Amino acid sequence: MRVAVVKVKRGDFTSSLLKGFSALCSDSEKCLRKYFSGRVVSLKVNTLSGKMISTSVELSYSLSQILLNRDADSVIVWDRTEREMKHAGYKLKRRGSLKIIATDSPRIGYDEALIVKGEIGSRFSRIQMAADESVSMAVLKDHDIAGVTLSMKNYYGTIHNPNKYHDNGCDPFIPELFSCEPIVTKHRFSIIDATKAQFHRGPAYHSKWYVRPGIIILGQDPVAVDHFGWQFIEKLRASAGLPSLKEEGREPGWIYTAEKMGLGSTKYEVVEL
Amino acid sequence: MKRRDFIKIIGGTLIFPSLELTKLNAQGLTFSYELSSHEARYYKKLPERRVQCLLCPRECIVGDKERGYCGVRENRGGKYVTLVYGRPVTVALDPIEKKPLFHFLPGKQAFSIATAGCNVNCKFCQNWQISQVRPEQVRSLNLPPEATARLAYRYHAPIIAYTYTEPIVFAEYMLDTAREASRRGIRNVIVTGAHVLPEPWKDIVSAMDGIKIDLKAFTEEFYQRIVRGHLKPVLDAIVAAAKSGKWLEIVYLVIPTLNDNLDNIRKMSRWLVREVGRDVPVHFSRFFPMYMLKNLPATPVKTLESAREVAMSEGLKFVYVGNIPGHPGESTYCPRCGKTIIKRVGYEIKEIHIKNGKCEYCGEPIPGVWS
Repeated sequence: MRVAVVKVKRGDFTSSLLKGFSALCSDSEKCLRKYFSGRVVSLKVNTLSGKMISTSVELSYSLSQILLNRDADSVIVWDRTEREMKHAGYKLKRRGSLKIIATDSPRIGYDEALIVKGEIGSRFSRIQMAADESVSMAVLKDHDIAGVTLSMKNYYGTIHNPNKYHDNGCDPFIPELFSCEPIVTKHRFSIIDATKAQFHRGPAYHSKWYVRPGIIILGQDPVAVDHFGWQFIEKLRASAGLPSLKEEGREPGWIYTAEKMGLGSTKYEVVEL
Repeated sequence: MKRRDFIKIIGGTLIFPSLELTKLNAQGLTFSYELSSHEARYYKKLPERRVQCLLCPRECIVGDKERGYCGVRENRGGKYVTLVYGRPVTVALDPIEKKPLFHFLPGKQAFSIATAGCNVNCKFCQNWQISQVRPEQVRSLNLPPEATARLAYRYHAPIIAYTYTEPIVFAEYMLDTAREASRRGIRNVIVTGAHVLPEPWKDIVSAMDGIKIDLKAFTEEFYQRIVRGHLKPVLDAIVAAAKSGKWLEIVYLVIPTLNDNLDNIRKMSRWLVREVGRDVPVHFSRFFPMYMLKNLPATPVKTLESAREVAMSEGLKFVYVGNIPGHPGESTYCPRCGKTIIKRVGYEIKEIHIKNGKCEYCGEPIPGVWS
């Protein structure tokens, strides 16, 4: 399995994404054909922490255009709340083939069905339930409980009760949630916006531990992508003289749990572009 | 709903039904999805805009923009706020027997309120649609403490009950409302799992006139696996409530195969006799398949009767069975003469034979709050 790490030059996310897809499947067309059927695609962004450390608007729009140009019926860029999306710079759009909405938008909300996996039950956003395929578009962030918050944890934003999933450093709750049917059967790609990174005291923005690596990380395997993101954060922490997450008692053991559950692998090839 | 329909209605006119809410005919009050931002009372500030909640035994350390396990307390730039202060999601008039409190003003109505949220996640929760959600997901009333007490007064309710979800998570709202209610001569009762730290519990107990605690099992294993909490803080809270002198009753929901072991019920009964006393009423309630435990059957009546017999054999004087309307175990019997002194059917009081806190037949004092 490959993880593509692509430098974003002059804000050209479209080229970076296409390069990344090419690196994953020899050419981008082949890659997109393989993973996207062209129906309703959900792009779950992360806008929890304001404009400085949310998924770039430009990145999600670029992927939307790539997918729509390849016959996707509809692309939905979304997160939990309209307020957070607006703060992150998103302009809400309810009509047309590209929709930018939130679970708390009028007439959306959470599905009535309680889906139980492991020890906790959750109701999923109707957006996630309605999508045929989904892409997790996370941000490269440290997390005070989970160690890091990357593409798998980004799906906490699809359920009504993420607060119930933070015990024991989110282990095994992140992989258990990911393995729920509305996610695991629809997940196509993990994309981490690492044009910016919060490498300590995340997930909120703290300027003191904030850098701009200027890359995106993508792959089909969420475990591989998240493992790479974690290692990247460790490097940023080390270069700033901070202890490792293990030394702080926050090593993201859930990544290994996810691997044990068969959701992906921590052994992968890195393609740097 | 089909996916295509969903995509169409995003810009359309369909209205999704929201969660069911119990409504009081409260003219002039409207429900909305607004949140409060009232500073929480029980927390400490940590470096780098983090806080530590000091309300319940989880003692969540919460980063900026994050929430505690309960989902109703949020760190906003290093200030911990409650999102549910004065925002009840349910307002109703209930008989006090529904709580259940059997030795506390029998037959009286309790103005009952709850906000969203809970600090545990019981797999058998009856009210998970309001307890296991974030407050922005369910409509609530704008009903500050003073208005709450005033409304209860207007409806001639002699009691306000903090109930349905977990009142511990709305401690600030409950405490301020209780103070307002007391000023108007209204009593306050809490219905709680008592998964709480000693300091806030002390404040809560002192503000209450009656306390009903759900002791959900007598094993730590059950608390960890089924409740997602711990047993010891609950036992400590029971002892503290008993020592306070406030009226206390215990409910034990008997769930087939999970906490219906009679040896454990015997141990619990002995513990209650030793730590709380023989007079504390204990209710063994019938479980019905719910939430994440839909795979289990309802509790057999015989199991509840056996639990009651065990508890009484250990010396508890007032042991009831619940959720079986018409069962003789719903009624109160004089521990001295054995006569029926309160006859109940469901939540209804059919007869009361207690005068000045004593059995009408033999004069035995009956513990409780009767007037």
